[in-house]
Amino acid sequence: MGRIFAAVAIACLLLLPLLLTGPYHLHVLILTMMYVVLASSLRLINLSGQMSLAHGGMMTVGAYTSTLLVMKAGFPFWVAMPLAGFSAALIAYVVGYPFVRLKGIYFSIVTIFFSEVVVLTAQQWQGLTGGNTGIFGIPRPSPVVIPRILRMDFSSKTDFYYLALVLMLVSLIILYAVERSRIGLILRGVQQADSLAESIGIDTTGFKVLAFTVGSFFAGLIGGFYCHYISAISPDAFSFLFTIYILVYVTVGGEKKFVGPILGAAVLTILPEVARPLKAFMPFLFAAVLIAVIFFVPEGMAGLPDLARRLMPRSEKRPARA
Amino acid sequence: MSAGALSQSVLNGLALSGIYILIALGLTLVMSIMGIVQVAHGEIYMIGAYAVYYMIAVLGGGFFLAIVVATLFVGGLGVLLERLCFRPFRGQPDRAFTVSIALILILQNVVLAIAGGNPLTYPSPFTGVLRILGVAISWKRLIIVLVGLGLLVCLFLFIKLTRTGQAMLAISQEREGAALQGMNIDRISAVAMFLGCGLAAVAGGFIGSLFSISPTMGSFALMKGIAVIILGGLGSIPGAVVGGAILGLVDGVLPALTTTHIAGLVGFATIIFILIFRPQGIWGHD
Repeated sequence: MGRIFAAVAIACLLLLPLLLTGPYHLHVLILTMMYVVLASSLRLINLSGQMSLAHGGMMTVGAYTSTLLVMKAGFPFWVAMPLAGFSAALIAYVVGYPFVRLKGIYFSIVTIFFSEVVVLTAQQWQGLTGGNTGIFGIPRPSPVVIPRILRMDFSSKTDFYYLALVLMLVSLIILYAVERSRIGLILRGVQQADSLAESIGIDTTGFKVLAFTVGSFFAGLIGGFYCHYISAISPDAFSFLFTIYILVYVTVGGEKKFVGPILGAAVLTILPEVARPLKAFMPFLFAAVLIAVIFFVPEGMAGLPDLARRLMPRSEKRPARA
Repeated sequence: MSAGALSQSVLNGLALSGIYILIALGLTLVMSIMGIVQVAHGEIYMIGAYAVYYMIAVLGGGFFLAIVVATLFVGGLGVLLERLCFRPFRGQPDRAFTVSIALILILQNVVLAIAGGNPLTYPSPFTGVLRILGVAISWKRLIIVLVGLGLLVCLFLFIKLTRTGQAMLAISQEREGAALQGMNIDRISAVAMFLGCGLAAVAGGFIGSLFSISPTMGSFALMKGIAVIILGGLGSIPGAVVGGAILGLVDGVLPALTTTHIAGLVGFATIIFILIFRPQGIWGHD
């Protein structure tokens, strides 16, 4: 059921640029796919029972890494973008060990401060980062040409659309594989019973750092993609509020299920575009949706089918007891 | 740096200390008594500043009348928020945290819709300078230090001398025990929200007499408030005072010695280190 749905969704996404040729529509879809990766990777960190608010900071790290590698060191984009992810992952790994010693909300607070440190560093280090104004004219990805089959020179949004699609699919596959593996099981164990997991010999600190590192990798990767897509980067591009929005996608979509953040990011990015006449009221609607979800469907949109089933117990026969 | 410039930046730092202490006292009250992380506290402070602006610029009230009205208005708003948004999630800090995130979006955008995004200013009624030993001290900064100290003493006496204050202390230490002793947690939470939001409104009202105000000014206040609480330990009033004084002085003096970015970096890095090595704060205990 899930696989058929995923296959249909992927087929639709592949064909969508044929129907939607307007650059604005494609732009919204590209952003949506970025947010899907960000929200899904944030959920992986949450899975270990700690809420990171460093995603914006990690994106900034990735964006500057990729920009500087391409513009100052002459790396090709296709090497620089993965390195953007790895640089964010490396930093997450290093700061992760001291950070995960903090429980609950204190972990979130220290990740907020971490993001501030990233922003201030980028503002201060003017020789490298261009200070407050940031860096403009970041080159497009170098063309990909397979003779007679494929030619992508990234002069149109369509090419970026397919790059974002590939990024999203690869990221989701990796994240899904991690979650279904032993690691995912252990992370859930750590989330539910930290001390118990530790008492049976699980290195909870190590697994928390692992989740933080892998999640931050994807934030850095998307940061690397984004700065080449819009061809500019500034220190405060991914502010505290930006991270909050990603968190809202996760919460509204529902963090219990893998599909939750995907739904949350897609619906909350595309809905405002569909309801454009209401655009001025969007933040209110956004907040209203969030509050409604917290009050009435704490499991998020992904939990709606279960909720419907609970509310209508008669429509379904109870399985006979063995 | 000359002695005059140094004393000026120390005074700037003291004025900032006053603001930070007011923010942190309110935040620590709300956090320790309601058991939640109220990240919309910065927005409460922002609304305090706008309430003062509207009292002065539109209704033509005096500065102090404006501060008093803004404090009561924002305190009332706090009571309303406690009843509608936080009480349903008592004992569920994760959900209460998400609600307060939603409040950031709502409150910021309500103010944006009413007042617009442009920075606004209003003058301080204090213009002159006080000369002590050849050092010129501007009254508009000195008054913040004095008001901050005054409110601090009032809060301290309130907690020490009144039954409600003692109940607040009890609830912040042992919620269930306090409830078993018959303390009305609903009422005390409402009082804590009123006081906490009122203190934030005073801080916002005074900051507007020094700098311009904008709908997004709250996140700065939130960061500083949390930093002070981490320095001083959650729920500790002396901790909030000492932490606020230190952070304010650092923020007043360091930018004059280096750049504002480096000053900010030093501040945040220090907080991160304190959090890692002494999570209970410098003066806090387990």
